[in-house]
Amino acid sequence: MGSTITEKILSRVAGRPVKAGEDIMAKPDFVLSYDFPGYTDLVFKQMKEEFGIDKVPDPERYAIFIDHMIPAATPAEEELHIGTRKWCAENKVALYERAGIGHQVGCEMGYATPGAFAVHFDGHVSQMGTFGTLAIGIRRNILEAFVRPEVAIRVPHTTRVDFTGTLGLGVMERDIFHHMVRQIGSASCRFQVLEIGGPALESLSIAGLQTITGLAMFTGAITAIVNPYKATLDYALPRAKKQLEPQYSDPDAEYAARHTVDLSVIEPIIVVPPSPANTQNLVDYLGLEIHAGYLGSCASGRLEDLRAAAKVLGGRQVKEGFQLHVVPTSRQIMAAAAAEGLITTLVEAGAFISSPSCDYCFGRIATMTAKQRAVSTGTLNVRGRMGSPDSEIYLVNAAAVAAAAIEGKIADPRKYL
Amino acid sequence: MVLKNLRGRVAFVFTETDFDVDQIIGVKNIKIQNIDELAKVAMTSYDPEFASKVKLGDILVGADNFGYGHPHYPPLRAMRHLGIAGIVAESFSPGYWRGEVSNGFPQITCPGILGLVERWDEIEVDYDAALVRNHTKGTMLPMDPLSQAERDMIAAGGLVPYLKQSLAIGRTK
Repeated sequence: MGSTITEKILSRVAGRPVKAGEDIMAKPDFVLSYDFPGYTDLVFKQMKEEFGIDKVPDPERYAIFIDHMIPAATPAEEELHIGTRKWCAENKVALYERAGIGHQVGCEMGYATPGAFAVHFDGHVSQMGTFGTLAIGIRRNILEAFVRPEVAIRVPHTTRVDFTGTLGLGVMERDIFHHMVRQIGSASCRFQVLEIGGPALESLSIAGLQTITGLAMFTGAITAIVNPYKATLDYALPRAKKQLEPQYSDPDAEYAARHTVDLSVIEPIIVVPPSPANTQNLVDYLGLEIHAGYLGSCASGRLEDLRAAAKVLGGRQVKEGFQLHVVPTSRQIMAAAAAEGLITTLVEAGAFISSPSCDYCFGRIATMTAKQRAVSTGTLNVRGRMGSPDSEIYLVNAAAVAAAAIEGKIADPRKYL
Repeated sequence: MVLKNLRGRVAFVFTETDFDVDQIIGVKNIKIQNIDELAKVAMTSYDPEFASKVKLGDILVGADNFGYGHPHYPPLRAMRHLGIAGIVAESFSPGYWRGEVSNGFPQITCPGILGLVERWDEIEVDYDAALVRNHTKGTMLPMDPLSQAERDMIAAGGLVPYLKQSLAIGRTK
């Protein structure tokens, strides 16, 4: 019986062949975090005070991102950033500040090295799996990676999902993900790796795959991974932070389950509050009044998403009183969008564009009042994420956010494409 | 490290699949830090007298994919403060499960638990036998065994003491 890409990556870092189900100690190639109160500040403090460790021994394995609370709005937030800058300088650890949302910036900077094993406290780091990196969110256990070389981990089983067919007009990778949750279940990959492949894989954009892998946690998976292929290697290898052999699942690898998702049958999706598992077809919600729209987050806001929104909004206007926030995911993406003219199109249509930041997604810029409704490409639609617990968040693709902005209600983006 | 069995009453059964633990205190209370205030609002929408009925060592029971969504720490801090010693569920959402186990809070996966217990039954989590026993009804079910690292983390009372002990053992080897 062959091995999965996950088993192969963990075998290398464990220093011996390992199989799903084994409990191992594994040394991550990369230890990543964004600065956040109760996480990084606590880790830095505990390292020193509880474990007597002044500095991490191999700083090149670590990277910190300042992407939340950007720009800082209070002195307390700036204090947090100051602490992070100081720790990174003292430890000679790479710090990426205001470069964009860390999971995206991590890919741009080469931490999504094919064949690498990375840990973060945040689960959306799974988007690095697009490039054949095994990237797992371990929450506060991230402390372990700051106080010893290895982390205790159980080699996960893998559920394999193969994409077939062709995506229709106005349907995006975001819709594939939610359709997949509906088809295979919100707990189908629990404690496993979601491995994505199949004949339709390479017809999707890399940005779209980052959306799908980045949301893996809503299938119960601890991460997602894609076997490398030419386009992802062309992106990831020249910028890779570490020289590693890309890994691939063997044809006879053992999977816990296999599913096929036919892209041809997918329609634009709407995920109805208050659960990320509540997937419906957008057409069943047409006409529902909407007050705000958010296009951004680590699960969207990339060039393909901005292009889709610009296509819908080009030569049209955001409805009077509708608040459309567009937040490109990284500085590189924002610059590319500007060079392409997408920013001009969106601004002229009435979008409010911010520099890259996590703040519109994680509940910091959360101004919605009771009964207000938003469409969003953010990661989550749980109650209170964007303001009052009695406001509502509907997750849709980038084109559908733009369509709703024009009409002030749920609208089918296909008529604008 | 010795991991002591849990034994207590089933203080509540959450039958909802994909249960979002933030509901325990209500999303509007999620930013409360004060533990007494948290304990005061906990469970009020499920059973207003919960705080007075629950006692030290009681256990919560959950359905499939318990902890799904975007779990925060305050709801379970409140439950521990009220005396809850652990949670047994049909299954857990991994992010939630990982976060609470690092707090040293036992989270036991036991497929079939909803059919095994009723509220206020006396149950026991037997780690070595990997069984959940219902002493009220005289029945039992196998549970998913924990890894050694997970057992050690719960026995130590959380991530930091676990890592300290684990590093000390490493040094003496």
